Amino acid sequence: MARVLLIEDDWETAEVITAELSDRNFEVEWAADGIAGLERARALRPDAMIVDRLLPGMDGLAIIETLRNELVRTPVLVLSALGAVNDRVRGLRIGGDDYLTKPFAIVELIARVEALLRRPSETRETTLCVGTLQLDLIERRAKRGERTIDLLPREFRLLEYMMQHCDQLLTRAMLLEEVWHYKFVPATNLVDVHMGRLRHKVDGPSEPPMIHSIRGSGFILRTPS
Amino acid sequence: MPMRQPRLLRSTTFHTALIVAAAFALFIIVLFGFIYGRVEHYLTVRSDAVITAHIDGLVGLSPELRRAAVDERLKQDPREVQIVAIFDADGRRITGNLNRVPPGLRIDGPAQSTVIPKDDPKDSKTRVVRAIARRMADGNILVVGRDVDEAKEISMVVGEAIALGLLPGFCLCLLAGAWLSMRADKRIADISERVQRIVAGELRERLPYGSDSEPFSKLAIIVNGMLDEMETLIHALEGVGNDIAHDLRTPLTRARLILERGRDHASSLEELQGAVDKAVAGIDQSLSIITALLRLAEIENSGRSAGFGEVVLGEMLREIFDMYEPIAEGKDITITTSSSHSLSVYGDRDLLMEALANLVDNAIKFTPEGGRVELALLRSGGNIILRVTDTGAGIAEAERESVLRRFYRSDKIRNTPGTGLGLSLVAAIVKLHGFRLFIYSGPGGRIEIHCPVKLSRHDRQQARSGSEPDVRLMLDRAS
Repeated sequence: MARVLLIEDDWETAEVITAELSDRNFEVEWAADGIAGLERARALRPDAMIVDRLLPGMDGLAIIETLRNELVRTPVLVLSALGAVNDRVRGLRIGGDDYLTKPFAIVELIARVEALLRRPSETRETTLCVGTLQLDLIERRAKRGERTIDLLPREFRLLEYMMQHCDQLLTRAMLLEEVWHYKFVPATNLVDVHMGRLRHKVDGPSEPPMIHSIRGSGFILRTPS
Repeated sequence: MPMRQPRLLRSTTFHTALIVAAAFALFIIVLFGFIYGRVEHYLTVRSDAVITAHIDGLVGLSPELRRAAVDERLKQDPREVQIVAIFDADGRRITGNLNRVPPGLRIDGPAQSTVIPKDDPKDSKTRVVRAIARRMADGNILVVGRDVDEAKEISMVVGEAIALGLLPGFCLCLLAGAWLSMRADKRIADISERVQRIVAGELRERLPYGSDSEPFSKLAIIVNGMLDEMETLIHALEGVGNDIAHDLRTPLTRARLILERGRDHASSLEELQGAVDKAVAGIDQSLSIITALLRLAEIENSGRSAGFGEVVLGEMLREIFDMYEPIAEGKDITITTSSSHSLSVYGDRDLLMEALANLVDNAIKFTPEGGRVELALLRSGGNIILRVTDTGAGIAEAERESVLRRFYRSDKIRNTPGTGLGLSLVAAIVKLHGFRLFIYSGPGGRIEIHCPVKLSRHDRQQARSGSEPDVRLMLDRAS
């Protein structure tokens, strides 16, 4: 069971986050201010941390900086009501691993925490495999079983990212950031259109589907059972 | 006016006038002193020349003729300005109007000032004269001198002139100072009264001014111009405020109604969940408007140069094309791109992407099925041009200015989703870069971003602060 430390001063927000994470079998510890948060982080050695940007006692970024200086590598998700792009850049530069602007959807938060906990290890594998789906990173070829899938470069990039994060919920915002490097949310629902095309190619009419949309949340690439 | 007096004496203008008057008086005194000095010097030099010529003439004569000449000269000098006398080697007077050789007078020296001692008890004052003494061939001493009393007379005249001229001048200065001070006080009191009314919210109030050349009027005209600008801005802000209120309240009201209805009427969990989902969508729309507004403010107010670097435009265009091609295809719109040039600009890649994505997004959104959207990158003159054209309705002549206004949504597209902030955002990004946005009128949409080639950091700042408009509304539609 993964242990998550939440440092957040608004107790109602903290309560909802704690409840939601607990529902998904996380062990959640909560600290309401910066100084207590830093102490807990040192004592508990959590698997992941959720840190609010502005905290009483000690700034969220200062906590991360202190921990990083102590060579603590615990992945951190920074929460902030400051949505400014520069602020985001600063948060990530100082050692935050991901950054989420308030207000956020709870699924977005959960998806990102899960992504932090299951960051792909840096493998040197040149072929990604999920079930019978194979992606050759050198030859830039995709196969599902014996069927060859023709992918455009952009579709290849998307599938590669999804296979690296298989069985994880990937929200639209995460895909935009990671696959397209968009730092903004476009007006049109771009991700859905691209995903639709990819799904059309990956999941043949007679094959069990691998790409699933989760309503109102995002997408998952699952190994067919 | 008993109240007026102390205030007048305290006023800075009056103090300045006092200082000026004092300086004026000092200057006059120094000037007169200088004139006196020059005049005295001139008179001395002149009398020295006269007595030197005179003594030279007398020395050249024989002793008998010299005595006769001395006597003759004294006879012709009723004012007793001249001093001429001959003494024997022992200093006894032979002839002339001096009793003895003046004690300080050097024999055979140049002309000098010397004091003639009093001999006559009736004569109350000692005389100071310019004189020369020469010892002649026969051993006698010849003294020639000249009274320089004129200099004293002149100094008296000068002194009187100062007394007569200075006092009225000084008073005049003070009076002028007092008048100016009172006038300035009055105007400042008037202006501060009006400014207080403006501060209190009376935005129509303006400062009074007279002729254009007067400094006070110049200042008042500048301030009035500033007030005009502020008044326009405040009215514009009021408009934006209303727009924000409207655009935020509409989805929130919807969300509230849906939630209330869901709570009272939902007969199953699914129905309730459906209502909640709809409400969340409404809230999300409000939030997306807030996010867009904050972002707009961030871009407009920052000199966000941290993310600036070389941006290869062709590559960027390709990415946008890649991103939007499936969307266009879904709407049966042909999207093409021509970006063979390897052109790049200095800018923030993320922001430029956002601007271009916004334009392409709009173009696809407002182009009917079967239409075309074209992305082009070209170079023309000193500009790199990013052009987005479409076969949609375009922007009508009358609406070209309005489309840049926040929350402006043409009546024709009232029901198309969007925040109404897209083009404002594009304009803000373009302005931040020192580029220019050109909006051409319909039919058919055409928007261009003009990036001046080799825009240095300095140029960009100039372009940003310059008076040239960043947005051009093109009247002539290029074919």
